[in-house]
Amino acid sequence: MKQLKNTEDISRKDALKKIRNYGKYTALTAIGTYLILKPQKAQAGSPPDAGTGF
Amino acid sequence: MKEKTEFLYKTIEDKTITWSESSNQYLILENTTALIFKKLNTGVSIKEIASELAKELSLPIDKTTDFVTNLEQEINALKTEKDASTINKDTTINKPEKFEFIKYYKINELIFKVEFHSEYELYLVHPKFQHLEIEDTNIHAHTFTIFCEADFIYFYIENNFIGAWNKNEIHYFQGKFSMELIQKIHKKEEKEWMGVFHASAVSNGKKSVLFLGDSGNGKSTSLALLQANGFTCLADDFVPIDIYNKEVYSFPASISIKKKSLETLLPLYPELENSAEYNFKRLNKVVRYLKPNNSDFLSHLPCKDLIFIKYEKNSDLKFDEIAKIEAFKQLVPDSWLSPIKENSQIFLDWFASLNCYQITYSENKKMIATVAKIFNDEL
Repeated sequence: MKQLKNTEDISRKDALKKIRNYGKYTALTAIGTYLILKPQKAQAGSPPDAGTGF
Repeated sequence: MKEKTEFLYKTIEDKTITWSESSNQYLILENTTALIFKKLNTGVSIKEIASELAKELSLPIDKTTDFVTNLEQEINALKTEKDASTINKDTTINKPEKFEFIKYYKINELIFKVEFHSEYELYLVHPKFQHLEIEDTNIHAHTFTIFCEADFIYFYIENNFIGAWNKNEIHYFQGKFSMELIQKIHKKEEKEWMGVFHASAVSNGKKSVLFLGDSGNGKSTSLALLQANGFTCLADDFVPIDIYNKEVYSFPASISIKKKSLETLLPLYPELENSAEYNFKRLNKVVRYLKPNNSDFLSHLPCKDLIFIKYEKNSDLKFDEIAKIEAFKQLVPDSWLSPIKENSQIFLDWFASLNCYQITYSENKKMIATVAKIFNDEL
């Protein structure tokens, strides 16, 4: 039973370590997330739309 | 080391907007990433950047090296991406001998003669400018010519070829027509504009505000409501902004009113009852045109406020200031922005100085009162 408890403790430590590492990679993922915005290639009139319009 | 001139950077709130000259695209980067981006562009090695980043984030160097390498690849992709021109430069085509419709439009003191080959070409342009039509005259400053050949629409000014567009890109022909028109009215070349925005511009005679939002959200309807309540319509659908004074310039087209807005607007504009209804099947739109109340199409006014407007049935009035980055994300894909580097810098600086709001409403009076407060700097 004790041993089992120990095993559990070790597992928890490992788990925390993993979470910490994962957290660091998340930081990398976060700074690597970006958005590209493309303006219209030329001046345009109203483009076609679904026309639900108010 | 001197920075290469390919990119522009503008930090707004917690992000950095990065503009690429070769692709005329805007990237929204985290500030840290923008710094790495800058370093890569000034020739700092991947190894050096990856090592610094690994220390900063306490990460293994192989992970940060992968990250920086990927970023460099993205930069190279941006540098090689060029804007594809949609205009088919076939200038050898013979112009038709006969034009079924010839119209004259008077904008302030300037008279435009427009030759339309058939009814098809007429309906692409005329409904929005009908209110400017005058009787046949021999005196005109400019001649615009429009005709179709095969699946293309051709546009000439003073017998000079301007462009040809496939019929499924008619909105770019209409955009070019509008652009040429404002350039003649305001005597400016394309390089003298910061951009053209898909918005509605309303003014109080001293300044203007822009209404933005997806098609169908109520930009034009809100403009029509304000026009009936003491404000002036400066431009609908096509809002040009000058590069020198960063002011909104008047565009003389009518306000397009969708069928669903008629009930709201008829009490204010009884003339809409009997005005012609146009069914643009390709656009999935049924619209009528309302004359703008602006009498001086040379006018131009500063703009400090962008309003994302939305009519929502039964909604109470909601008014919020919104994050500029969010506004930027919505603004750019719908706009034509000058691809010239100096102009792009001016656009970024101008945008950073704006106030961005969102209004959701169902009661017209409350919307009008809120917009009036924005005009009076009471919010």
